[in-house]
Amino acid sequence: MSENILVIGGGPAGLNAAVMLSELGVNVALVERDSFLGGNPKKFKYKFLFPDMQPADNVIGELIKKAESGGNIKVYYSSEVSDFKENGKKFDAVIKSASGSETKTFDSVIVATGFEHFDPARDAKYSYQLFDDVIDIKDLERMMGENNFVRPSNGKPPKKVAFILCVGSRDRHVGNQYCSRVCCTVSVKQAIEMREHFPDCEAYIFYMDIRTYGFFEDLYWKAMEEHDVQIVKGRIAEITSGPDNTVVCKGEDTLLRGPFEIPFDMVVLASGMEGGPQSPEISSKLGIELDEHGFLKPENVTLSPFKSNKPGVFLAGACTGPKAISDSITEGAAAAMNAYTYAVKNR
Amino acid sequence: MALEKHDKDKENSGGGRPVAEKGEHIVARHLIEDDNIKEEKNLVIDGVDVSGRWNTFIISRVDSDFDRSFFEEIKKTVAGSRINRCWQCGMCTASCTVTPLYRRFNPRAFIYMMQLGNLKELKKYIDVAWRCVGCYKCSQRCPKQVNPAEMMEALALVIKKYFPEEVKTKLKLDEEVKKIYEDMIIGHGRLDLAKLHTSAMQKSGRTKELLGKIERDTIFKMAKDGRAFSILRLGKPHNWSRSKEAIENYLRKLNTIENGEAGV
Ligand SMILES: Cc1cc2nc3c(=O)[nH]c(=O)nc-3n(C[C@H](O)[C@H](O)[C@H](O)COP(=O)(O)OP(=O)(O)OC[C@H]3O[C@@H](n4cnc5c(N)ncnc54)[C@H](O)[C@@H]3O)c2cc1C
Ligand code: SF4
Ligand code: SF4
Ligand code: SF4
Repeated sequence: MSENILVIGGGPAGLNAAVMLSELGVNVALVERDSFLGGNPKKFKYKFLFPDMQPADNVIGELIKKAESGGNIKVYYSSEVSDFKENGKKFDAVIKSASGSETKTFDSVIVATGFEHFDPARDAKYSYQLFDDVIDIKDLERMMGENNFVRPSNGKPPKKVAFILCVGSRDRHVGNQYCSRVCCTVSVKQAIEMREHFPDCEAYIFYMDIRTYGFFEDLYWKAMEEHDVQIVKGRIAEITSGPDNTVVCKGEDTLLRGPFEIPFDMVVLASGMEGGPQSPEISSKLGIELDEHGFLKPENVTLSPFKSNKPGVFLAGACTGPKAISDSITEGAAAAMNAYTYAVKNR
Repeated sequence: MALEKHDKDKENSGGGRPVAEKGEHIVARHLIEDDNIKEEKNLVIDGVDVSGRWNTFIISRVDSDFDRSFFEEIKKTVAGSRINRCWQCGMCTASCTVTPLYRRFNPRAFIYMMQLGNLKELKKYIDVAWRCVGCYKCSQRCPKQVNPAEMMEALALVIKKYFPEEVKTKLKLDEEVKKIYEDMIIGHGRLDLAKLHTSAMQKSGRTKELLGKIERDTIFKMAKDGRAFSILRLGKPHNWSRSKEAIENYLRKLNTIENGEAGV
C-alpha cells in the first residue's frame, strides 16, 4: 500500500513537492484554492523570470504539465481544506470543492500556500488607485506578459518611468519591517525589459538600498551598464499629480541633500510580499505557528526551515517568508523528502 | 507696464536711502543660497519704485527635473563614456588625493550631478571641480571601473562649456599645487606623475602610506617595467636651458600682469 500525502497550494513550491512525491509512487492530493495551478507567477502572468530572463513557461508551465500528467497526483481545483484533525500520527482532512466534500486520511502534510502581493493602496502616500499611471510590479508583470505596456491613463507609451523600491516593506508605518527580497531584482529586471523594448523611455529607480543579493547582482549591473537605468538615492514620500497629465514623485536626494519633485509619465511601485490572509488561516486550521511577520514559522529557521512546529506537517516556499522561485522549488523538494520519510516511518 | 532699470547708486550718491545687500532683509537669510535670490537693485514699474527688497523673489530649492540629455552628452565623450556605471559608493572620493585638501572636491558627487544633469548643483563647485591632479588612484579603486579620473576630465570640459563666464572669474590658481608643477617643469623639463603623487601625499602628511603595500607594489612594478626611470633616462628635453629661460620669462611677465591687475 502506498503512502498518502496532502499538499496544500499549487504554486512552484507545492507543484514541485507533488511531482517529486508522485515520482516516488506516493498518492498525492494537491489542493489549490484557484481554478488553475502555478501560483502567483501564473496568476500575474510573469513572462520572463530573473535571474536569467528565461520564459516563465519553461519553469511554471513545465511543473504544471508534470503535475497534471503525473498519474499519482489528484488535483483539487478551486478547493480548500475545510477541516483538519490529527489522527494518531496521521491526519484526517476534509477537502471541500465545487463538487462536494471528501474526507481522507493522510500520512503527512505539506503546506505551500505562498504569499500575497502587498496592496499598495494600503499606503496612501503612493496614490495607487488614485492615479491611473501609478501601477505596481505585479501590474507591470501582467502588462508585459500581455504585451500591453502603455500608460493606463491614455494608452500611449511612456517616455519617463520611475520605479520606487521598498513599497510595503521595511516600513513600520505599514507594519512590515522585513525586506521582501525579490522586489529589487524584479524592478531591475523590469527596467531592463522596458529599456530593451522601448529604448527611448527613460528609467529611474528610487532606492534606499539595492538588494539584488548573490548572482542577482548581475542584473543590477546590466541594468545600469547596458541599459543606462539611473538609480537615485532616496525614498519617495509622496506621489502627487503634475502638469501635462504627469505624476510627481516627491523625495529627498540623500546624496546631494536636497528635496526634489520630479514629474513622470508612469510610476511603478515595487510592492513587497506578505503572508496574506491564508497564513493565519492555515496556522489556526492546522494548529501550526505563525511568526511575527505574518508568515508561517519554521521549527528551526536554519536547521529545518521546511518543518513546522507540528510533527508531520511540513512547509515549503514563500509561505515561510519572501523568496525566489528557485528557493521555493528547492524547499518543495526538501519538504517532499521529509514528508515521505515521516510517512514511511509511521506506516 | 513700463519697466525701468536705472543706476540709482549714482543718482543717490548725493545721500538718498542706503542701498541694501541682496536679500539682506530676508529672515533666516543664511538658509537661502545666493543664486536662489533674484533681486533687482534698481527697478521702477509703472513709475513706482520697487527697487531692492520690493522686488525680491526666491527661487524654489526643490529640484524639478532630471536632465538626461546632459548624461547622453557626457556618455558620448571618450573620457565620460562610463558614466552609466557609477553607483555612488564613494570609493573614488575616499581614495582621492585631493579631497583631504579640499573637502568640496568630491568626484563621487560630481559624477552623480552629471548623471542627473544637475547643472545648478555643479555650478556651485566651479572653483574646485578642476582640482584633480590626475593620480588615477580613484580609477585604481573604483569597483565598477568607471574610471573616475577621466570622468574629472569630462567634468572640467563640461564646466568650461556651460559656465564660461564663471570659469573666468572663479577659477583661482592654488599656489601650492602650482608650485609643485612649476618646480617640476622648471627643474626637470618634464612632468613626473610618480613625483606629483608623492609630493601630494607628503603635503597631506601621509608619508607612512608611501611605504605601504600598494605604493610598494606600484614602485616595484614601475621599476621593473622601467617607467620609474624614464624621466632619468630621457633626461631633460633637447636644448632645455633655452626653453627654460623662455618659460621663466613668460612666468615673470605673467606675474607682473597679475600683480598689476590686483593693484599690488
Ligand atoms: C512581481 C513579482 C515577480 C517575481 N518574479 C520572479 C522571478 O522572475 N523569478 C523568481 O525566481 N521569483 C520571482 N518572484 C518570486 C516568486 O513569485 C515566488 O518565489 C513564488 O511564487 C513562490 O512560490 P510558492 O509556491 O511558495 O507560492 P505562490 O506562488 O504564492 O503559490 C501559492 C499557491 O497556493 C495557493 N493557496 C494559498 N492559500 C491556499 C489555501 N488556503 N488553500 C489552497 N491553496 C492555497 C495559491 O492560490 C497559490 O496558487 C516574483 C515575485 C513577485 C512579487
Ligand atoms: S528587495 Fe529591495 S525593494 Fe524589496 S524590500 Fe528589499 S530592499 Fe526593498
Ligand atoms: S566612480 Fe566608481 S568609486 Fe566613484 S562612486 Fe562611482 S562607482 Fe564608486
Ligand atoms: S585622479 Fe583626480 S579624482 Fe582621482 S584620486 Fe587622483 S586627484 Fe582624485
